This record gives sequence, C-alpha cells and structure tokens, in this order.
Amino acid sequence: MIKIWSMKKNEDAAARRKPKTSAAQIRVQKDLTELELSATMKTHFPDPADLLNFTLTITPDEGMYKGGAFVFSVNINTNYPHEPPKVKCTQTIYHPNVDLEGNVCLNILREDWKPVLNLNSVLVGLQYLFLEPNADDPLNKDAAEELRKNREQFLQNVKTSMRGGNIRGQQYDRVVAQ
Amino acid sequence: MSAAVSESQDIEQATAAIHSRPPDNKTRRYDRQLRLWAASGQNALESSRILVLSSSATATAVLKNLVLPGIGHFTILDSAITSPADAGNNFFLAGPSSIGKPRAQEAVPLLRELNDSVEGEAVVKDVKELLRTDDGKAFVSAFSLVIAHNLQKDTTDDLSKLLWSDLNYPPLLVVRSAGFLAEFFIQFHEQCVAQPHTDENVPSLRIIRPFSALTQWASSLDFDSLDPTEHGHIPFVIILVKAVEQWKASHDGKLPATMPERRAFKEQIAEMRKKIDEENFDEAEAQAWRIWSDPPVPGAVQSLFGLAPLTPGLTADAPNAGFHALLRTLEAFVSAPDGPGSLPLSGALPDMRTDTESYVKLQTVYKEFAAVEKVRSRLVIAPAISDEEVDTFVKNAHHIRVLRGHRWGEWDADKEALASSLSIFPRETATHLGLAALSNLLSKAPDGSAVTVDALRAEVHKLVGDNVELPEDLESAIGELARAPTADVPNTAAFLGGMVAQEAIKMITKQYVPVNGYCVIDMVDMWTGTVGGQ
Amino acid sequence: MATAEVLVNGNQNDWSDRYYHVDQILDKPGPRTDPSFLAGEEVKKFLREACKILVIGAGGLGCEILANLALSGFKDIHVIDMDTIDISNLNRQFLFRPKDVGQPKAIVAAEFIMNRVPGVKVTPYFGKIQDKDEEYYMQFNLVICGLDSVEARRWINATLVNMVDPEEPESLKPLIDGGTEGFKGQARVILPTVTSCYECSLDMLNKPTAFPICTIANTPRLPEHCIEWASVLEWPKVFKDKKLDTDDPEHIGWLFKTASARAKEFKIEGVTWSLTQGVVKNIIPAIASTNAIIAASCCNEAFKIATSSAAYLNNYFMLIGTDGVYSFTFEHQKREDCPVCGGQALDITVNKEWTLERLIEMLIERQDVQVKKPSLTTATKQLYLQGPPQLEELTRPNLEKKVSELVEEGDYITVTARTLPFDLTLRVTYA
Repeated sequence: MIKIWSMKKNEDAAARRKPKTSAAQIRVQKDLTELELSATMKTHFPDPADLLNFTLTITPDEGMYKGGAFVFSVNINTNYPHEPPKVKCTQTIYHPNVDLEGNVCLNILREDWKPVLNLNSVLVGLQYLFLEPNADDPLNKDAAEELRKNREQFLQNVKTSMRGGNIRGQQYDRVVAQ
Repeated sequence: MSAAVSESQDIEQATAAIHSRPPDNKTRRYDRQLRLWAASGQNALESSRILVLSSSATATAVLKNLVLPGIGHFTILDSAITSPADAGNNFFLAGPSSIGKPRAQEAVPLLRELNDSVEGEAVVKDVKELLRTDDGKAFVSAFSLVIAHNLQKDTTDDLSKLLWSDLNYPPLLVVRSAGFLAEFFIQFHEQCVAQPHTDENVPSLRIIRPFSALTQWASSLDFDSLDPTEHGHIPFVIILVKAVEQWKASHDGKLPATMPERRAFKEQIAEMRKKIDEENFDEAEAQAWRIWSDPPVPGAVQSLFGLAPLTPGLTADAPNAGFHALLRTLEAFVSAPDGPGSLPLSGALPDMRTDTESYVKLQTVYKEFAAVEKVRSRLVIAPAISDEEVDTFVKNAHHIRVLRGHRWGEWDADKEALASSLSIFPRETATHLGLAALSNLLSKAPDGSAVTVDALRAEVHKLVGDNVELPEDLESAIGELARAPTADVPNTAAFLGGMVAQEAIKMITKQYVPVNGYCVIDMVDMWTGTVGGQ
Repeated sequence: MATAEVLVNGNQNDWSDRYYHVDQILDKPGPRTDPSFLAGEEVKKFLREACKILVIGAGGLGCEILANLALSGFKDIHVIDMDTIDISNLNRQFLFRPKDVGQPKAIVAAEFIMNRVPGVKVTPYFGKIQDKDEEYYMQFNLVICGLDSVEARRWINATLVNMVDPEEPESLKPLIDGGTEGFKGQARVILPTVTSCYECSLDMLNKPTAFPICTIANTPRLPEHCIEWASVLEWPKVFKDKKLDTDDPEHIGWLFKTASARAKEFKIEGVTWSLTQGVVKNIIPAIASTNAIIAASCCNEAFKIATSSAAYLNNYFMLIGTDGVYSFTFEHQKREDCPVCGGQALDITVNKEWTLERLIEMLIERQDVQVKKPSLTTATKQLYLQGPPQLEELTRPNLEKKVSELVEEGDYITVTARTLPFDLTLRVTYA
C-alpha cells in the first residue's frame, strides 16, 4: 500500500476526527441557529431532538393575509442540501400559489433550488407569498382569476376563507390568529 | 380515401399502441441504451457483423461490450492455444481448464452467453496465412468492422493495405497496448454522421429569417393591450421577432452587430416589459444570441457542400450514397432562389415560458412550416431514402459531420508530421512513438526479449529521424514499455475494451463522432489524448 | 515435481504463469514509480494474501469492478448491494443472466466471480451500506464505489472521513469513486482528509430537471409536464398515503394513463410508456462500454495504490466520449468550508468544574477560533442552540450545567456559528 500517512506529516496533527454527525445534520444545525426569525414567523419542533422535521407558522402583520396564522410543515431529508426541504401548507387555504392539497408554488422549493440556498431563503420566500400573492403563475386557478379580475372580491374571499368560510362550494380551514 | 393515407393511419395507430403498452422484454433489456441511440442505432448494431483478430484479454473485453448491447454476429479469428498466462488474465476463458485448448474456441461460448440474440463463431486460423489467399481476403473484407489487438506489425500492414484498397471494405480498428500504455486507431475512408448528438441546443428558430406565420403572429399581437398575465406569457420567440422588427425599423433594416448595439438591443427588450419579473422577457434576453449567431448555414456544414465525393458520379451502391444524396439536396435547398437561403427548419421548439395554448400553437406553426420545407427539399431526393432518414437528417442538418480518415501507418511514414506533433503534443506523440517502436521490436522477438529502453529509443529515432530532439515524456513512455513489453494487464484491457467498443458502436450506428487519429492512453498519470488526425 | 509447479506462493489455486501479465508490472519499477515500491514477492504477497478491498455497488460499475479486481490479483473482496436484478440491467451488468432476474445482485455477482476466477473469495452483503458500522469499514485497505445514488456516496464519504484517526495510519481508507452517464463518466481518488472529498464537489453535480409546480398544474407544454402532473400532484391526491413504487408496472401504467389523458386534453404530443418511466424514475442512460472504461480506471487506481507500482491519479479523471474521446485530468481542490472534511478541529482541555457557559466564554475569547454566538451539539444531544427560540429555551438550562456532566471524555462537540465558514469540532479532555 502507498504510504498515505506520510503525506499528512506537514499537516496539523490535531484531532481531525469528527463526530458521527452527518453533513446534512450539521448544515441544518447551522441553518436553524442562524435563522433570522421576525415576529411574524415561529418554528415549532414536535420532537426537539429532531431538527429535520418542524412546523413554521407565519402570521403576516401586513397585506391581504394580515390576521391569519398559516402553518407549514418542513421536512428535511438526509440528502439536504443537495435536495431542497419539502414544504407543505398543513391547512386548506385560499391562496393563488397554494393548492388545496397544500402544495406551494415557490421556485426555490423546486426548479431553482441550489445547495447555497438555506432555510432562511425558504422562510423569506414563503413570507413573500403572503405579501405579494402572484396571480400569473397560479396553483389555485380560481383564486388567481379572482385576484386578477376583481381585487376587492378577492380580498373579501381571503377574509371569508380565513374565517373558515366556503367559497364556491369549497370549504376552507379557519386560520385566524389567536 | 387513398390507400396510402389509410396505410399511414394504420402505422400511426400501431405506433401509438406500441408506445402505450409496457414494453416487451427486448425493449426492456435494451432500455438504458435505446435512450441514447434509439431504434435506428439498435437496428444498425443488430445487423452488424464484426471480426476480431485475437482473443486476448483486451480482444474479449472489446467483444463483451459489443455483445452486451446486441451486435448481430461476431467472429474471432485466432490460432493461439490458451496459455497459462491467458487463463490468468482473461475473464472469458474458463481458468486453468482452458489451458492447451484453442483460445478462440474457449472464448466464444463464454461471450455468447452474455446475450442470446448474438451469434458468434471461432475460426482457429492464422491471420497471416489467411491474408495470403483470395478466399481469406474476401472473408476478411466481408465484415462490417474489423478489430485487431496487438497483431504483428507486418500482418497489420498487410491487413490495413487490403482493407484500404476498396471503399466498400470495412473500417479497421487497430489496438495496441503494453502494461499501462495503449493506443487505438480507426482506419476508414469516410464516416458520415447524421446524428452526432454533439449540440443539445435546438437549432435555428428563424427569428431573423422569419416565415410568414411567425411575422403575422408577432405583428398582429399588440403587446400593450394584453393583460399582465397574457403579457407575462408571450413566447420569447414572438418577443424576439417583434423586437427585431422594431430594431430594424429604426436601424436602416440592419440587425444589431456590434457589442454596444447588442447591449442596446437587450435594453430594448427590457423596455418592452410591463413588470420587472416577467420571466418570458428574461428568456428573450437570454436567447438574444439567436439574433447575432444564427448563420443561414453553419460554417462547418457549408464546407461540406464543397466536399468532393470519394466516388465520382456517386452511384446508389457507393458507400454513404444516401447521406451524400441528402447533402446535395440540402445544398440545392439552401441555394434555391425561392427558398429561405438557409437550412430547412428543424421543426423542433425548446420549452419556454408561456401558456399551453400559445405553446401548442407555436409548435404547430413550426411543425407545419418544417413540413412545407421538407416537401420542397424532398423533390430532389432519391426515392430510395426513407422518410425517417430525411427527418433525422433535417433535424440534425446544423451539425452533421463528415470525417475523412487515413490509412493506418501513413502518419508513421511522415517524419516531418511526427516531429511537429512531438513538439506540440509531446506526451501523446511520445507515447504513440514508443508503442510503434515496441511493435517493431516485437516483430523481431515476440517474447519481448529484444525490448530495452535503448532499443526503443533507437527505434523511435528511426521513425522521426536522428536529429530530432526527443522530449522527457519519451523516457517516461519507453521506460514503462520496457518494464512490461508483453503485458496485457486486466485493467488496461478492460479500459481499452470500453474505449474500443464505444468507437465501434459509433462507427456502426453512425451516431456520435468517432476518433480520427491515434487515441493514446496513459494509465499511470491517467490521461488520454488524440494525435495524428490531420 | 508436477505438483510443485502448480503451487506458487503456497496458494493451491495459483498456477505457474497465472500472473505473467500483472507480474511484469510488479517485478520492477517504471520511470514514474515511487521509490517506496517493493518490487517482487513482497508486493505480490501483500496484494494476493493480505489486501482486503470493499466494492460498494454490484451494478453497472460493480460487475466490472469485481471482475477486474479478481483478475488483477485481489483475493479478498467484499461487495455490498441492496438491489435485486432487473431485466433492464442485462444490457451491461454482465455477471447476470435472464434466470437471475429478481435475485440479489451482490450474491449472484459474488458467486459468478468465484466460479470464474479460481481462488478469489468474494463476500457479498445484500443490504444497505448504512447497516454497517465503522468497525466493519475499518477492516478494509481500500474502498471502491460504483453507485448511482448521491445520498449513498455522501454517506460513505462522510463515514470514511470521520474514521480517520491521526494516531492510527491504518484508519485512512482510500476511496475510489466512479460514475457514468451515457457516453460520459468520471473516476476519482479520495484520500479522506488529505484530498478533496465527495462533499467538496457536491456543487459540481447536475441536478435532476425539475419543473415549476405551477407549470405542471396549469400551463403544461411538454409531455414531461403531464407526467409530473400525474406523479407529483394526482397520485397523492388519489392514493393519499400510498407510496408510489416506480418499479411497479401497475403504478407506471396508472401514471401513463393519467398523463396521456391530460396530454390529450391539452393537445400535447409525446407521452409514451418509456418516457413516463424515464421521467418518474429519473432514468440515466447507461451502456456497457462507458461502465467498462470507468470501472477499469477505478480498479487501475486501486491496483496502483495497493501495490505502489505506479503513481496514482491526482485526483479526478473526467471523460466525454460523444465527440471523439475527450478527457480531462485535474486536481479537484479541497474546500475549506466543506461540512465533511473542512472546518477546524481542536483538542481542548476543560476543567471538570467548568459550566457549559464557561466553555462558551472560553471559545469566544480564544484568538485562534474567533467565534461569536456559537451553537454546540454532540452526536446525540443538543448542548446549547442560539435559536430558534423554542430550542434556545429548551437548551438554556444546560448553560448552568458542568460540561463534564454533559459530555464524556474524548467525545466530540460540533460548533456552528455565523462567523465560522462551516463548523468547528472540539475533542474534549478533562483536567
């Protein structure tokens, strides 16, 4: 065998051995502890020992969704950050970019994800969706159509839906902040 | 309804049925390769007949990689009796039990069991003897491709001369290796590649030479009257056609040419936006290169128009007759006074940010016009060429290739070319020269007993001339060769097995671009390089 | 005596001249061979009697790797693979036959090699690499990887990097990694902690194509969009928690039917069974020849490293075979901020009476660390996290506790902080 060890002799002989923490785990630790959480965002870890699965609650303090509390599940797999975190809305909400199954249309969660992005970018992106819902690339077509054609009616629908109301036969979850 | 129409419908229905069922076992088996060379490539492989001279570890490694993807037939021609050394380094011999038996006969069944649909046979004869007879020459010339590994120098010379002597004779792949060093060379007259798979970009969209359906669409669309959603979904092609129109109107009918003009053109696109985040306008800016780098005919294709065919008159049975007929048709199409003055439209459209309806409509516009141009070009084509071939040719017209090859040994006789290559590509050329020198020495003593560093250096000097200064790289190469002059080591054999099979597949399928020259391999520092291809 | 001739090196399966070819390399050095090379019997003995090598993956690359190693003279080979044989493997995985479909790859491959190449022992393990612990990986001299999964490669890479113990030279296991896609491929040598590692080059990977979910939902244009609609949006809606099995023809059939209906609705052409399968399984084209080239490169490096008979690859070989043969050999640089092999490591001595808070203050004060607001964890517990608030609150009581109550002697603490490029590892001893 080649004597690889001799190549290390110039290096610092300090302990380079590392704990059995996976790269994904360390990266999540770094991402989470460096999150810039504003007053409108809150994370909750059902099992605090598990940093890979948590929920994020967004309570917008401005815009059309002010007064609501929107809960997303965030699931990170062990291939993070090669793969993006999986984010879903846990409630049925009336939003042009969120469908009734909770799928979210946010580019950095899919086609534009890169390992240099982090959880903070995801949080910022999600928050932005509530300030600036995008009617041009909808997931909930009816909501988008309404936003485009009749902003007033859309606003009304948002309010109704957030109280747990029914819009065009579709029942929405009550998401008013406590 | 005419018979022809109903027949084509049947074909369409049959094709649809094929695509909507789970594939049959054969398609499943070949799935991972069909995604590269499709049914056309597979058919070419399945009708090929390959002759391999030698059943060395390298030779059987090549064959393994040809039998697995499913060539039609192989023949191993080898008079050797399995030695204990063969039994030790060749995976396609049955270990010590093969010792003392004809090597080719031992190898064939173990290769055939890799794929039931491939036929194979062993011919236990000496190549040198065989090439002395007319029957032998006819036998060798009748294959689709001939591959030789570490064949004696003079036999290789005889063989290469024979196969070069007629344009219809098969290409010859000459492979040499010793220890960690190796090279291979493909002798062929001409290789026409209708599907090079080298440029994944969709070819010209005719934005600067728009056809009427495209200009009509662009001019009839009033961008300002669209609502934000519609505006955010105008296909970039239409944005660019419009932008070019506007630019030309204010620039004496000229296109943006200089760098500042190109920048200004992009700014003009930016000004057409309604919102800053319209991704279709991002795409239009990113695709603006299609305005300034979209020659009517790419230079490399243009130069093919002037290429004299190897067979004057180009009879239908000449090699690559179909390809050349298509090439002439292409030239006629380009120069036709009533034509677009460019290559015919490919009909392909890249994905782009737009709504379904616009995309499907745009796709239809492109397909329909491509069909019109195809009919126009078809008029000149010999009827023997299938519609499928025409389609493939047109789709790839922007990057088709014609390679003209060389006779084996031609380069080695050109002292000036070798010396020049030695100064430009020292390590590749030095390694090639080392292998050529080794081959010369082995023809005197096949057991390697005449091979020393000094003897190799002297042989190299004979090739390049005494006054040529030899680079340091030559010492590295000949030192390795003197160390292991007759070694066919398993890893080098396996590496070459992959490389050579890959080139054989390219030659047979006429897809992807084969090596033209000597591909030299050094597995000490792990590099490859190609020399002697000019 | 006839029997004496057959017995070489005391191994009854070796016949005279068996290694005629390989021995030309092992009997004398070449011009670029390191002076430490011990030509002759000693190196042969090590290769054929002592060296133990692990092959991860018995697929396209794995089959080739096993055959090359066996012929090169490695006699103690282990192979791990969790897959069973599929018919689509047979165009390149040459140790398998139609009758083997459904059988575990590792077991069939091992048997084939042992039948074909006398005297070689191949020990298969049909399972996941994650089932095995450090002690298992420690037994090998070398590891060769022929995997198609990024996740598995990251795992074995991190495991081998973490195993390196500066006091124990044998703990450094060279990792040779190969990969192919169509006519392209790469082979590389990773000397854990010495050269760049797999994680260092993670950003070089092509990511699989993903389409915007709103395109899939509302503006499909390509057949692929219809297929993704069926698999990403419709499947979970219709089948709820039932997991999509992309190897199940019935599942593929449903996706194909659903995607075709949608394509018809939107007048999109080109949804086929084969494309459906290609998209949902993210099928990468694979051929025997490219696998042969890359596997041979990997085995060649293993052979050179095991025998020191020639210089080894430093450290990346890339091949593109579409337009002639183009290859590029280069040294991929180690990344300072690599989460696996980068970052700093420190041995620290801590007073047994120190609280965690005192340790953190000490870290902040240390000039050579320069850390602000650090978060600390061990492999099994969170010591103190600066955020998010819920976790900060939960871990805050630890600040008052003694480090010695929280961390055992010799354990490792992972420190992350905004000011650190990636992380810092502390190995704790108590004074």
